Amino acid sequence: MATTTENVQAKPSLGSRISNEMFIVLLMIAVLVILFVIAAIFVPGFMKGQTIVNIFTSNWYIIIIGIGVTFLLITKNFDLSVGGVIAMTGVLSVYFSQAANVSRNPLANGLGLPYPVAIGLALICAMGIGLVNAFFVVRLRVPSIIITLGTMMLARGIGRIVTQGAQRNTSLPDEFGLIGNMTLPNTTIKIYVVIMVLLVIIAFVWERKTVGGRRTYFIGANSSAARLSGVGVARHLTLLFIMSSFLAGFTGILMASEYKAGISSRAMGYEFDALVVSLLGGVSIMGGFGSVLGMFVGALILAVVQSAATGLLLSPEWNFILKAIAVFIAIMAQGYFLRRRVG
Amino acid sequence: MASTENVLEIRDLVKEFPGVRAVDNVSFDIKRNTVHCLVGENGAGKSTLIKILTGAYDRTSGSTLLNGREYVPHDPKDARERGVTTLYQELNVVDELTVEDNLTLGLEDTTFWFIRKTDKVSDMIAVMNSIEPSIHPKQKVGSLSVAQKQIVEISKAAATEADVLIMDEPTAAITEGEIERLFEIIQTLREQNVTVIYISHRLDEIFEIGDYVTVLRDGKHIDTKPLSEVDGRQELIRMMIGRTVFEEYTPKEETNPELVLEVRNLRNHKLKDISFNIRKGEIVGFYGLVGAGKTELARAIYGADPFEGEILLNGQPYTPTPQKAIEAGLALVPEERRSEGLFTILTIRNNIPVMNMESISNHGWISASKERGVAEEYVKKLNIATDSIEKEAAKLSGGNQQKVVLSKCLNADADLLMMDEPTRGVDVGAKSEIYNIIRQLAAAGKSIMICSSELPEIMNLCDTIHLLFDGELKASMPNGDDVDSEEILHIVTGGD
Repeated sequence: MATTTENVQAKPSLGSRISNEMFIVLLMIAVLVILFVIAAIFVPGFMKGQTIVNIFTSNWYIIIIGIGVTFLLITKNFDLSVGGVIAMTGVLSVYFSQAANVSRNPLANGLGLPYPVAIGLALICAMGIGLVNAFFVVRLRVPSIIITLGTMMLARGIGRIVTQGAQRNTSLPDEFGLIGNMTLPNTTIKIYVVIMVLLVIIAFVWERKTVGGRRTYFIGANSSAARLSGVGVARHLTLLFIMSSFLAGFTGILMASEYKAGISSRAMGYEFDALVVSLLGGVSIMGGFGSVLGMFVGALILAVVQSAATGLLLSPEWNFILKAIAVFIAIMAQGYFLRRRVG
Repeated sequence: MASTENVLEIRDLVKEFPGVRAVDNVSFDIKRNTVHCLVGENGAGKSTLIKILTGAYDRTSGSTLLNGREYVPHDPKDARERGVTTLYQELNVVDELTVEDNLTLGLEDTTFWFIRKTDKVSDMIAVMNSIEPSIHPKQKVGSLSVAQKQIVEISKAAATEADVLIMDEPTAAITEGEIERLFEIIQTLREQNVTVIYISHRLDEIFEIGDYVTVLRDGKHIDTKPLSEVDGRQELIRMMIGRTVFEEYTPKEETNPELVLEVRNLRNHKLKDISFNIRKGEIVGFYGLVGAGKTELARAIYGADPFEGEILLNGQPYTPTPQKAIEAGLALVPEERRSEGLFTILTIRNNIPVMNMESISNHGWISASKERGVAEEYVKKLNIATDSIEKEAAKLSGGNQQKVVLSKCLNADADLLMMDEPTRGVDVGAKSEIYNIIRQLAAAGKSIMICSSELPEIMNLCDTIHLLFDGELKASMPNGDDVDSEEILHIVTGGD
């Protein structure tokens, strides 16, 4: 990377024209490619079309919730409630759609609402969790890591109660399983993967190109300066928390639809996976720095590591160790290259 | 104990910052067992000098002798161990701990890293009780008043046998009765062979408590003499401001009668019933010492702090939040540039448009070319020294950072621009550039409100001068030849 020492007067080099954020994204893309090549050489049977498809599709749910988590992280806030919200919303969407009074088994009886109404209501409940998070953070100034830890348990607890600690999977209308199992015509690619890609694109454009996206960075870089500069900090944070819960709720509905079941133990630990992919993608917990695109690349890196491990016949319990190694290496590499670049 | 006559000798001390000589060849002695006062205007070099003595800053050149021996502390802890303790305005006590834990904090005796109860604690409590019996050692420090917290710190210094105790504006936050008590304590300390270096803006206090006084001005040593030989506060004031040649202020030929801002009976936790007007195209200055309420006044008008009373902008009331104030036509250059004005990790390009995002967007969509255009325009107009608008604000010098903050406000196109300490930490060149910008803005019909603790700044810029002391508007006057800077200093230091 050309430093500016000799190029001060010259036309800015590519290196100095891109922002530090995009530099990190490019760096992580390079890491992704290198890891991919290494895996292709050493892991038998890695270079298959299906592996590549899997890398792009396997973490779709982490990427969707990662969008909200990333934006909140850029404002210096955590959202640990997303995993719980996935479980809660999935369970509620099932409960609302299950036929009413059809069985003696309480877990087979729901509210019998039409499917669109059921998912609409479930999403409103999800956004309610976001509103609670925002209220505590914005009005009562409770650190987000604490309140979202609380709502994480609250949301999962609601799921537990509604399923009596198990799951609901009977007396569902046929359309319930539709959206989670739809594929692109003539492929095995699920429609939710397409939705995920669209959401990432929309989020990236919003982040780079709109005033709203820019506010996210102002708040994270210096929230008191943002307030004194007329940025509506409270309103913006509230919207971000609600958006994050909405995305988690939406993911919960897709997952419930795929399995035609509302399972209260769903999505355990996803909030941390979402954090891991954000950090892998170069989002800073110090606020004001990062990109949804980086988070997306981070999720791909994680997927490469995981498929390589599967290919090497490592048992699944190695997954956590591999994630840990990927995080250590990525964070150190980012720190090293950013310092060199800054000079 | 060494018995030199002078406890501290300062010789040819110099401290340079980029663009300024904050301490310029200062030499003087501090006699043992005296109360030695240090006075000077803001920016005279008092704080810098103290920071060198406490090891917080490295010196550029010069020497200091403590008890006749070379004294170059490399950090405040080192200074304390050698017998120079400082009582800062922001007290160094931990509210959550008890008085006795605070007394021994950092001085604990340990056995294998476990804290051991020793006589040291009871010795220190004895010292504290001799100074102020009403404080209980098991009390949480958070439950004490500011004055009592000071006493805890003073006791700590006395018990550790400090030779020199530096007090930086110790009376800024305590009541009249507590001040008297503090002075008694200072007398006791002197009897216990402690030399006190006393810094205060309140000149009456200096005559009450001091033995010697040293006056600094623009980083230079003006004089050191016994207070008994000083002919009243007028002489001190004269030494402090000297024959400072104020850049010539030219009175305006005509004033626009149109009112931009009307403030009526503004009150809050700091301000006491303040009323004034600002006209179109007028530069209005608020002068007062640290803690007089200048910052609070600007923040209240801007809607950043709560208040009671009435404020009209262009004859209209507005919702007091920064967002609405900006929409109504106000802008604020805050006192604390880095923590309240700038987004240091973002680029110049990102920083400049924040107060007026409409200037770079259409219906919420940012136009990259407009954004670049706005940034380049202000970099050029305000002569911001940078090789690229993509440079992070953190990497700019103080003066250039302040220009970025100013650009933010100018881009908001406000009718009234409020500036709190507009040139603090800014080098001389950038200072005069900022003054020129202010004059140009006023000539173009904008109104400016300046809050400053630098008198020359107020005297050479402002059409109208308001004086604040302790949250009250003490006096208002039009600027001109007949304005008496001695009189002004008399008022803002609490004189009648």
